Amino acid sequence: MSGERDAAPILNGFAHSLLVTEGPLLGSKDLHLLVERAESARRKLVNFLSSIGGWHAGSSLSSINIVAALYGHWIPSGSVKGIERLVVISKGHITPALYVWFAAEGLINEKELETFAEPWSMLQSHPEARRLKGLVINSSGSLGQGLSIANGIALASRIDGTHREIAVLLGDGELDEGQVWEAASTAAAHRLDNIIAVIDRNMVQHTGPTEMVKPKEPLAAKWEAFGWYAVEVPNNAAAIAATIEALSELKDKPKAMIVRSRG
Amino acid sequence: MVVIVWFNGSYRKALAEALIEAGSRNSSVVVLDADTPKSTGTLAFARKFPERFINIGISEQDLVATAAGMALAGKTPIAAAFAMFLMRAWEQVRNTIARDKLNVKLIGTHAGLSDFMDGASHQALEDIALMRTLPGFTIIAPASPAATKKLVLEATLNHEGPVYIRLGRDNAPNIHTDSDEFHIGGSKIIEDAVDVAVFSFGPMLGVAHQAVKILRKHGIQAGLVDVYTIKPIDRDTIIKQSAKANLVVCVEDHNIHGGLGSAVAEVLSEAMPRRILRIGVNDSFGASARTYQQLLEYMGLTPERIADKIRGELG
Repeated sequence: MSGERDAAPILNGFAHSLLVTEGPLLGSKDLHLLVERAESARRKLVNFLSSIGGWHAGSSLSSINIVAALYGHWIPSGSVKGIERLVVISKGHITPALYVWFAAEGLINEKELETFAEPWSMLQSHPEARRLKGLVINSSGSLGQGLSIANGIALASRIDGTHREIAVLLGDGELDEGQVWEAASTAAAHRLDNIIAVIDRNMVQHTGPTEMVKPKEPLAAKWEAFGWYAVEVPNNAAAIAATIEALSELKDKPKAMIVRSRG
Repeated sequence: MVVIVWFNGSYRKALAEALIEAGSRNSSVVVLDADTPKSTGTLAFARKFPERFINIGISEQDLVATAAGMALAGKTPIAAAFAMFLMRAWEQVRNTIARDKLNVKLIGTHAGLSDFMDGASHQALEDIALMRTLPGFTIIAPASPAATKKLVLEATLNHEGPVYIRLGRDNAPNIHTDSDEFHIGGSKIIEDAVDVAVFSFGPMLGVAHQAVKILRKHGIQAGLVDVYTIKPIDRDTIIKQSAKANLVVCVEDHNIHGGLGSAVAEVLSEAMPRRILRIGVNDSFGASARTYQQLLEYMGLTPERIADKIRGELG
């Protein structure tokens, strides 16, 4: 037995490698531009959704601002600051928003969108990480697992002394999954203050209004009761980007950012 | 009645030693447990490498997906839990570890009938069936403490990719010596088959070994193979040993549906059809018992009962 095998840090080398940038991204002009980029992507998303029969249209539309803020601003601004920032997608059914954003930003070929959900396509209906190297860290589609994955990355980073921040994109309906709250306890127990749960609070889940299926409110109070900081922001790319940037400065607890669509 | 005096080993003690050695030899090794470190054997690692040990609490789904995240960040996570409750997170194992082929080592302890006192709720008799269907997963089920130590180290230090290691609690047969070699994908011939070829693994290998001795007294020459790699199964050895025999027998502490008997039947039905007697838990749950021996008697899995079944099948 050879003993010391080379550890193969999957994150190093490819995760989000296409997204890092140089130059300022923190000014009000950048935020204004971000809103324009998000709006442009939203228009493309509406067309794309109509071309695929509206697959998970509501969730994709409510998450496009979050996708824009995380991938288009938060990750690049981290690279400017020397912080490695990673996004874990927990609600995997927002691929229309994700892929349209990647195409709009030139990270994948626009023509690739036409292959969406075809068996040989890199753009599987739910993300397959092994087909999306450099863009997506984890495969998803089964709800409730992303926060645990993010915690694992954060715990490993702590052992290694690596400075990373990990945002996890969750749906509000997804919060029905018990594992989310198992993971919320884990993050609080280990004081993982580099974890940010971004909750797409669009008020609907598969069957109907979230509060009719299984009430989520008082949502911020629930996260706080689990030992987290919780903030609410309107569903606007600039607000999301500015708030999540500010959350970096909060220490000692994990942070939940509840992104509210107009109800 | 044969008194089972050879069950004097402990899987969890062997696991504890293996984890310490793995942690000493490779700094990327981290261990996660779901609030059972005293029971599984991870406690020794936790004491020696506290900075590399996470007690996730009583939350197996979180355990599995947190381990996945640590693998993504370049660690070699070993997640240990009672096999039964690790199966609670089977879907997380499938969608988060198997789909992304992550380098996570799952250790299911107290598997099969080994957790005699805790009864049906704790006795994992279905785990091999569940894990065998996951693409890219390796499944290992060592019989002895010596095999446990070597195979845990092999799976952790020299094998890239997801592995499920099925362990009993205690009651491990000391059927191997420290000089025995084991490798992933392999099996070990304990005795060559003549009239009968017996395949077994884990604690039942010790029981099957005693059954083979009983058969010999009756003039029946039975071989015995330790199928410590359940997946990828050692097809060549199974085919070669079965070719010599009139009857193939599989002995396991698992439901006969989906376990070793099924795996061997799959191999032989394609390559060389043979009559197969599957001895194990016959589509039922276990029961609590005061001793391991008592549970084996209740389940009809003592050496005498196994030998009787084989003799009955031979006619």
